[in-house]
Amino acid sequence: MSAIVNDFTINIATANGTGSQSANLILLQSLFDMGVPVSGKNLFPSNISGLPTWYIVRLSDKGYQAPGDRTHIQVLVNPATWDEDLEALEPGSVVIWNSDTKGKTVEREDVVSYPVPMSSLARKINPKIAKLVTNIVYVGVLAELLGIDQACLESAVAKQFKGKASAVELNITALGLGRDYCKENLPKADPFTVEARDVAKAQFFIEGNEAAALGAHYGGVQLLSWYPITPSSSLAEGIISYIPRLRTDDEGKATMAVIQAEDELAAAGMVLGAGWAGGRGMTATSGPGISLMQEFIGLAYFAEIPSVFWDVTRVGPSTGLPTRTQQSDIAMLYEGSHGDTQHIVLIPGTVEECFEYGWRAFDYAERFQTPVFGMSDLDLGMNRWACEGFTYPDQPMDRGKVVREQDVFEAFETFGRYLDVDGDGIPYRTLPGSGMAPILYRGTGHNPMGVYSEKPADYYNLMERLKMKIESARDALPAPILREETECEVGIIFLGSMENSIQEIDDILEDTGMKVSQCRVRALPFHSEVEAFVRRHEVVIVLEINRDGQLYGILRRELPNDLVTKVHSVAYSDGMPPRARIYAERILQTLEEVKQ
Amino acid sequence: MSDKPASAIKLNVINEPKDSYTGGPSSLCPGCGHDQISSVIISAAWENGIEPHRIAKMSGIGCSSKTPAYYLGQSHGFNTVHGRMPSVTTGAYAINKDLLYLGVSGDGDSASIGIGQLIHAIRRNMDMVYIVENNGVYGLTKGQYSATADVGSKKKKGAVNETQPIDLCALAINLGCTFVARSFSGSKKQLTSLLKAAMSHKGFALIDVISPCVTFNNNDESMRSYSYVKENEVTLHMADYIPHFNPVEEVEVPEGHFKDITLHDGSTIRLETISEEHDPGDAMAALTALHEAETNAKHVTGLLYFDATKPSLAEDLGLVDEALLDVPDETLRPSQASLDALNAEFLA
Repeated sequence: MSAIVNDFTINIATANGTGSQSANLILLQSLFDMGVPVSGKNLFPSNISGLPTWYIVRLSDKGYQAPGDRTHIQVLVNPATWDEDLEALEPGSVVIWNSDTKGKTVEREDVVSYPVPMSSLARKINPKIAKLVTNIVYVGVLAELLGIDQACLESAVAKQFKGKASAVELNITALGLGRDYCKENLPKADPFTVEARDVAKAQFFIEGNEAAALGAHYGGVQLLSWYPITPSSSLAEGIISYIPRLRTDDEGKATMAVIQAEDELAAAGMVLGAGWAGGRGMTATSGPGISLMQEFIGLAYFAEIPSVFWDVTRVGPSTGLPTRTQQSDIAMLYEGSHGDTQHIVLIPGTVEECFEYGWRAFDYAERFQTPVFGMSDLDLGMNRWACEGFTYPDQPMDRGKVVREQDVFEAFETFGRYLDVDGDGIPYRTLPGSGMAPILYRGTGHNPMGVYSEKPADYYNLMERLKMKIESARDALPAPILREETECEVGIIFLGSMENSIQEIDDILEDTGMKVSQCRVRALPFHSEVEAFVRRHEVVIVLEINRDGQLYGILRRELPNDLVTKVHSVAYSDGMPPRARIYAERILQTLEEVKQ
Repeated sequence: MSDKPASAIKLNVINEPKDSYTGGPSSLCPGCGHDQISSVIISAAWENGIEPHRIAKMSGIGCSSKTPAYYLGQSHGFNTVHGRMPSVTTGAYAINKDLLYLGVSGDGDSASIGIGQLIHAIRRNMDMVYIVENNGVYGLTKGQYSATADVGSKKKKGAVNETQPIDLCALAINLGCTFVARSFSGSKKQLTSLLKAAMSHKGFALIDVISPCVTFNNNDESMRSYSYVKENEVTLHMADYIPHFNPVEEVEVPEGHFKDITLHDGSTIRLETISEEHDPGDAMAALTALHEAETNAKHVTGLLYFDATKPSLAEDLGLVDEALLDVPDETLRPSQASLDALNAEFLA
């Protein structure tokens, strides 16, 4: 039996609310600290306690971060999903199971079975919290079986419990019990092992939501108004948690306000109020919240109010699958609200970009005087990703065309709030309280002076100017990330968290002999580089995590006619983070159909 | 400012003429009570000597919410979306707490589509004046009942409202609103003094102003309105004809007394000014007065409830002393050193 090193997937089946998340994060962190390229996916229910949860840990020296195609090591703790999880395993898989589970056993002959009396071991430490400790026992067993470094495990425990001595001690004892039981009773009968790796550059683990929260602080956010919703709450709470450290003066007074709104409508209204008053306001929400905010999004677009909205997307429509991931709000964000609209959407694909767009969103919003969206998703936002560190903003805050001084104001021959003085579609504005050029902002039709108007020419010109304004943003927004082959055969356009699966998809496709280039879109409206990428390639696939091919629809409409026939959609979503093989196979199938 | 010699023009304490507080011409129906309220807003702001550009005019959608165009032309304003003026005001206030936020809303805005936002602005004790121009009817969409329409009131087309009205003052008092008053659009003197007091209040000041709709609020006496029109030789079946009325005559009711007011359509409402013995710090007494008035088919007016002790939103937010708008960018953005420290800690 030859060893399989750093290339397998562990699936841990537990129930939520039992403390399994802490145990799983300790496992993930210890592998990460050994330098093993690893990713973790938390598949959790929309529930407080008692429903099935799976945690998938993928180890891959190739750096693949998608959940693997199959489970190699299954940990069974939850009787509710026991039979189903067991049945799904391929022959040769490993099963580590809690042999204290009433009425459950592992009878399959074709798997490597490691029964562990997890509950009894846990009860030895403290019967009152046996259920909690059970989880850390399986981490000890895994550590022994796979060869996880004890020092890395202990430092991961310390990190997880932030040095709280009693919790750290308890967990290290439980880890030891698992390890010792394994040593004494379970001779190694499987090929899976881990080996430490040297990492070129030091890295740490962080969730996209925390990164975006920090980014917002470095963007000088002045108002966070929000309404709790999965999976965005940790973004808002991340902002709040850093206020004492980053945003308070010596007397403990803050330079930003936080208001938990009564609903998403009010949260959006507050963001607009902040932008209207001259401040940097933002909200964080998910698809259902964006649905509720549509009215204000249209007002912000039409009245030209800088405003920032983060959408950490989940599975729709409706309440959908609140704790699963999807890229299905693309069209809603790009064309939010009734009437003709078009919005700037920033689409991070890494935690570094979550941070960067966290601050840049405000610059774009104020520069273009329009709503700006950050579009993350549950996978990127709530799972932990490797990060080499965040880069400080390379430019001062861009506050846009705001006239603040009387002499600047007086230099205008005519001042109109919606007058296109510079020919770039971006007018100048004065702020409430300044006494300069006061107007009544409105969501109704208006002329360049900001006065109510229903005149056909006023409406037409206004809408054309707004279009020009957003069009002009294209190449000011983050350019796509291109990874091109010289052959320019198949080009894949994708976005966001698909970044974590794309290399594996690319490799699967290239195994068939084709040459695949990648173009990761990082903003809407599309950068001109995207069109150039399409032009260079023989055939282009737009790959996204949804049913309808929303990004494809937008691209198809905006491309010149001669390029449209080159572009094909591969869109798929089942709520899971994208598994590479599923998408690769669909791409192959589509390419086959194109050939015919 | 005007070119006329100073002696000819009356100036307020900050040497501004009243003209500095006026706005554009009204496009509401002639005789609309809302225009009387606009003129009271102008007077109150002028008399209080507030710098006009330090006022922010906020509104939602509806006849009432159009009025900010008709007063305080030197103030920035925001005519937002239906029922959502409180949230926009809250956001603006978080950024610039030094402005006087003057919200004007209607009964559709405040008692129906936006009742949630009104409630939560009260709950936060947002520093603002919130005027409800209450006529019990949706004017811009041509005469549907609002949630404040009295039971038994009758539309032009004859349907009688059977649904219980929402009393915004009673609601506000129950929510702990720190300034609650009711007035009548024709009671210029009372309304001016209430508004001046509200402008000085730290916290949420609600003034529910009964402001009859000259066009659509024809109730049980509506035939008289038709006959009025008929006498003036107007074709009755022209549905879009808006008769021109004069504003309701000015009315002042002494404290503790009531008076019947005849409206354009010939109907009457009975206004009672709350007794001078009423203690505005006594919420129970205020609620009792409202309920007694309702039982006796009257509207009780005056300052119903007042509490100066509750902290306003600004105090709750724990912000720096200056308005956030005035905090320099270099302070808003944390330092490079702070990010270096975070990166180092994450890597540790």
